[in-house]
Amino acid sequence: MSEKAKKILIAEDEEAMLEALASKFEKRGFAVIRAHDGEEGYSLAIKEKPDLLILDILMPKMNGMDLMEKIRQDDRWGADVPIVMLTNISDPENVSRAAICKVYDFLVKTDWRLDDVVKLAEDKLAFPEA
Amino acid sequence: MSFKKRFFVIKLSDKILLIFFVFSTVALFLVATILGGSWQQLFILITIVYAATFIFTYVVSSNFSKSLIDLALKVQEMGAGNLSKRLVTNRKDEVGQLINSLNELMSRLQTGVAVDISKHRELSRAKTDFVSLAAHQLRTPLSIVKWYSDFLLSGDAGKFSKEQLKYVEEIFRSNQRLIDLVNSLLDASRIDLGTFVIEPKPTDVIERAETALSKFYPEIERKKIKLEKQYDKFDKLNLDPRLTQIIFENIISNAVEYTPIGGKIKFIVKKTAKDVFIKISDTGFGIPREEQPKIFTKLFRGDIAKKIQEDGSGLGLYVVKAIVEKSGGRIWFESPSLELLLEEKQDADNLPLDKKNMGTTFFITIPLKGMMPKEGTKKLENLKNIKKSKQA
Repeated sequence: MSEKAKKILIAEDEEAMLEALASKFEKRGFAVIRAHDGEEGYSLAIKEKPDLLILDILMPKMNGMDLMEKIRQDDRWGADVPIVMLTNISDPENVSRAAICKVYDFLVKTDWRLDDVVKLAEDKLAFPEA
Repeated sequence: MSFKKRFFVIKLSDKILLIFFVFSTVALFLVATILGGSWQQLFILITIVYAATFIFTYVVSSNFSKSLIDLALKVQEMGAGNLSKRLVTNRKDEVGQLINSLNELMSRLQTGVAVDISKHRELSRAKTDFVSLAAHQLRTPLSIVKWYSDFLLSGDAGKFSKEQLKYVEEIFRSNQRLIDLVNSLLDASRIDLGTFVIEPKPTDVIERAETALSKFYPEIERKKIKLEKQYDKFDKLNLDPRLTQIIFENIISNAVEYTPIGGKIKFIVKKTAKDVFIKISDTGFGIPREEQPKIFTKLFRGDIAKKIQEDGSGLGLYVVKAIVEKSGGRIWFESPSLELLLEEKQDADNLPLDKKNMGTTFFITIPLKGMMPKEGTKKLENLKNIKKSKQA
């Protein structure tokens, strides 16, 4: 992996989904950090400081919403890092919580093809102010 | 109470009074006859006895009657649904007992009704929660199938033969139909629960129409349907992009599904003074007159529709109507569709009678001022609990 490769952290407890996403990102030249639950996601995020995070909501140990809020509490890095929620729960409560935390996007998995998810991440990293 | 009833009803207290008068008059005459005495003495005696009797009877009967009237009024209030009212009494007699019994009955009724209402709400919530829960749980395997077939289709897992690609495309397409069905179920359950959310943001209405239409291009091509589009230019409107797309997808999907091979679809998105005006006409099988009043009903599927597309959900138009109306718009239709039938008259004349299609036109308006935001209140705590128990 080249040193310039952008780092993406994916927190997803469904192994099949994690693998599909991770492989797609890796094929496009990203360095992927895999987390299988919220706590692992948090410790890896703090340690690796990825360029973008993709978080599921329903995860063991710590759910994606709490993980998102915890990352935002980190003043130096977490406050501004782009976060994409990728979940199958689209209830308004979570959407508004995510909006308060200024997530970049809130995606419903079944509505998105893998290539489009990767493109969304690429666009955000290419034009951070967008 | 009507005027007639109010005027002619003799109260119970009046009846008691009357009986006292009759009895005391007879008694006085008997006493006077037995004891003897002048008419003047008799007159004074009668006056005193009448006055005393009148006062005594009036007080007793009024008191008795007032309690009964109060009772009647409370029963009337109870009938009107106010079960929390109670009668206060210190009486130990029969009226007191009656009032206490009534109070007790009202308490029981109140508890019973409260239990019934909360049971009904509980059931209704359980039903919609179940749909919501099932739909969310279904989305996980559906996304896995979607992503892996997508993986195969994109060639990331190696090259496929034409035949293999065709099979994977079929898996992808069928899975997408299931996803659409689950989304419709979720939308319908949110409409039923009143937790449907509208999140307006600046939206390019034509872009939404095109995105929706693009989903159906392969089918339009396969069926050799002649598609005619007319779009006006729009500034971005304050619409919920997802809901706008649901509207377009459903009406386009119906037109494509029910138009036979070689038919025609005309799709118009125009700007009027106050509205976005959407019109989609097809030369499809049309909607039989007897089914027309039911087509926006949840889960309704027409006989012809069932024959053409066996696995439709009957949710599409129900959801579309709810979205359009919650957005301050209107939806209606015309079948036979006069516009396209007139245009196609030449061809239609050459068809045998039983092959002639009636065609349908759907009309939708959405106010140019946009949709009003509507917040939902649904919380998915149950989902979280289930996930936790799965981990345990």
